[in-house]
Amino acid sequence: MPRLLFLTLLLSLPLLAEEPAPTGEFLFTINCSACHLPDQQIVGPSLVEIRGLYEKNIDGFLSWAKNPVQKRQGAIEMPSMAHIPDEQLKLIHAHILEISKGLKQVKQSNADPFSLSATIARRPNLLRIFMPDAGPAAIAVAVDHTYSYCWDAGTCRLRYLWRDGFIDGFPVWKANGNGLPNVVGTKILTEPDSPLAQLSGGTPPKFLGYNLKDGLPTFRYRLGNTTVTERLTASDGTLQRHFTLAPPPAKDLLLPLANEKGVTWTHLKGTPGKGILEGPLTLSPAEAAAFTLSLVQP
Amino acid sequence: MKFLLLLAASLATASADVWTDAFTLESTPIPAGIDPQIGGLDTLPDGRLAVCFHRGEVLIYNPADQSWTPFAQGLHEPLGIIAESATSMVVMQRPELTRLRDTDGDGRADDYETIYDGFGMTGNYHEFAFGPARDKDGNFYVALNVASNGAGIRKEIRGDWTSIGVPRETMDNSDGQWGRFKDKAGRMYSRAAYRGWVMRISPDGKTVTPFADGFRSPDGIGIDAEGRLLVTDNQGDWRGTSPLYHVEQDKFYGHPASLVWRSAWTRNPLEVPVPELEALRTPAIGLFPQGELANSPTQPIAIPADTFGPFAGQTLIGEMNQPTLVRFLPDPLDGISQGTLVPFLQSKNLGIGNHRLTFTPDGALWIGKTHLSWAGAQGLVKVTLKDKHPFAIDSVHLLKDGFEVRLTEPLDPASAKDLALTSHRYLYHATYGSPKVDEQTLSITSTTVSPDHRTVILKADGLREGHLHVLNLKFLKSTDGKPLLGDLAYYQLTKKR
Repeated sequence: MPRLLFLTLLLSLPLLAEEPAPTGEFLFTINCSACHLPDQQIVGPSLVEIRGLYEKNIDGFLSWAKNPVQKRQGAIEMPSMAHIPDEQLKLIHAHILEISKGLKQVKQSNADPFSLSATIARRPNLLRIFMPDAGPAAIAVAVDHTYSYCWDAGTCRLRYLWRDGFIDGFPVWKANGNGLPNVVGTKILTEPDSPLAQLSGGTPPKFLGYNLKDGLPTFRYRLGNTTVTERLTASDGTLQRHFTLAPPPAKDLLLPLANEKGVTWTHLKGTPGKGILEGPLTLSPAEAAAFTLSLVQP
Repeated sequence: MKFLLLLAASLATASADVWTDAFTLESTPIPAGIDPQIGGLDTLPDGRLAVCFHRGEVLIYNPADQSWTPFAQGLHEPLGIIAESATSMVVMQRPELTRLRDTDGDGRADDYETIYDGFGMTGNYHEFAFGPARDKDGNFYVALNVASNGAGIRKEIRGDWTSIGVPRETMDNSDGQWGRFKDKAGRMYSRAAYRGWVMRISPDGKTVTPFADGFRSPDGIGIDAEGRLLVTDNQGDWRGTSPLYHVEQDKFYGHPASLVWRSAWTRNPLEVPVPELEALRTPAIGLFPQGELANSPTQPIAIPADTFGPFAGQTLIGEMNQPTLVRFLPDPLDGISQGTLVPFLQSKNLGIGNHRLTFTPDGALWIGKTHLSWAGAQGLVKVTLKDKHPFAIDSVHLLKDGFEVRLTEPLDPASAKDLALTSHRYLYHATYGSPKVDEQTLSITSTTVSPDHRTVILKADGLREGHLHVLNLKFLKSTDGKPLLGDLAYYQLTKKR
């Protein structure tokens, strides 16, 4: 009988509990748990680390929580917790000390666990991702094991070429996009503008998409009234860049070609301009309808 | 004594697992080499699943033989997909809405057609792009996250820039000066075109309509069984707690940053008096109490007909930070949308990170998980209904002086006691989040059970418009002694009856 009575008492406890004051655990769950884990860094530092900073400095904890600033390069700044009363912040502080007790920070590898996966290692490859020195709608393409380039779907143009590597996208993928990939290899040519910019007639270019053939994209976009396709390929160690223009221009097209320390484009078909290194390449309307440029390296 | 404690503990455990008594949860292995954070999930007409991953892959999963086949790759943070057919899928990437087509029949997309990229990007990490949802006429809806002052903007941006706000040069992320200016930008800001808006794109992609504004971080966009466009948003500045909205054209949903993209708008939204914003905003149809029900709600989805027993036709919503999904029960009144949110699958076995949802024709629910370095999880979970007669809340209907709670199964009338009702509201302000304010315990004047034992009518004093009413029904039992699946009902009362 006493046994049963006790059981009844235990089970009725929730009945008796009137809306209890919030506990540190509850307040932590509501306000902090999305960004702080006990023993490892996610968006914010671990509780082990916070313990190290504020175990004996509750005033520092309160003032930090109410007025945080960005301390770590590349980290997200914590939102202010000024809406939480001091007594409740103190409960959170106590809860952090309680659950981090005896824990050690888990060492996190800074290496990409998927660096060998096909997503990154396949050649050719195309990855849409934030890129340095480009607009936010950037595309990274590995043509083969030698050549890679950055193409910008916002401005519809090639931004730069590099060789002997592709990208390490982990700084972007490991988080929520607040980072930039490392370009692996050596940049060899940056284009200051599209060689076809003159076709725009002052209107913004319009990106239409791309087709993948043999893993490589053929970009299509509109410059003014002209629909352009652009495709980069490599054969026998030479990088080639194929364009089509529809409709073809009404008169000769003068192409200013980028040149960086002798790295530039030459024309395979039609009449090269008077020394492409000194002046623009001239294409007749018929030649401009479909033409190929080839990369020259000193 | 020890025996009693053990017994009490085991009773507590049993009651915590009511969900796995009623549902089966199974996790599905993801192929090696794939970062298993799921941004988009949909069911193909043939019952296979189209799954978008964090690093841009779209894979097709065949539940029949558990095979995965690649369909597309290289997408920029895809956060939603509609599988039109086995050869055509529409995906929302960070920079654009894209149709992926397999034109040569080899099972892999070879054409990536840009449907819509006419919105701005500053390069700020928080400018996610969500959707698409598609209405019965084939229109697409996408939702554009505003930027976070956790970072500035990049040197190069895409699209139109508004000069309303702090000067662009002070916002550049790359020169280390951002910390000096961030407080002047607004906690979340919209400086590139249409950030904070829901956009409607016609089926042919040719007509784009800025549809509704006032959004902050609207990760969830979907159409319910009645064809209503539902959008969830995330607690933060101007969001005392996370809301659910019924979104209609030209309405404003409370976060002011996006107002700068209204035609003829000239003022800095940070300087508009709060009462003016308050008058402009459309109230939420449901509120998720932060930390109790949901912290970061995700995709709303209609449960198909003949699926999940009594829950067919209702709306489910995912949640990132709490181990639960949420069910929405509408209670429309005089053209005002309002209703109740109830926990669903609130179980440690479900876990957190519940991001994207889809149903397969066999009646299973599939949940794609992600975290993007916030709290969350990863992978794919399959949920099937085991108990054909789950005991749960079917509807909550507001009365003049109380609530009528309809249940899916008859209840034990003796259990209809000790119900509790409280109400509170949240502050509407630029500060991040809000405490509960004006909390009140309402006195319940009567509790009546209908003759068919399917309805509990609860009369109470002091219902208040603009307040979230929390009904605690945790002692209700079915006639065969089962506890309620989801025993707290959160009714957002915008208008009294």
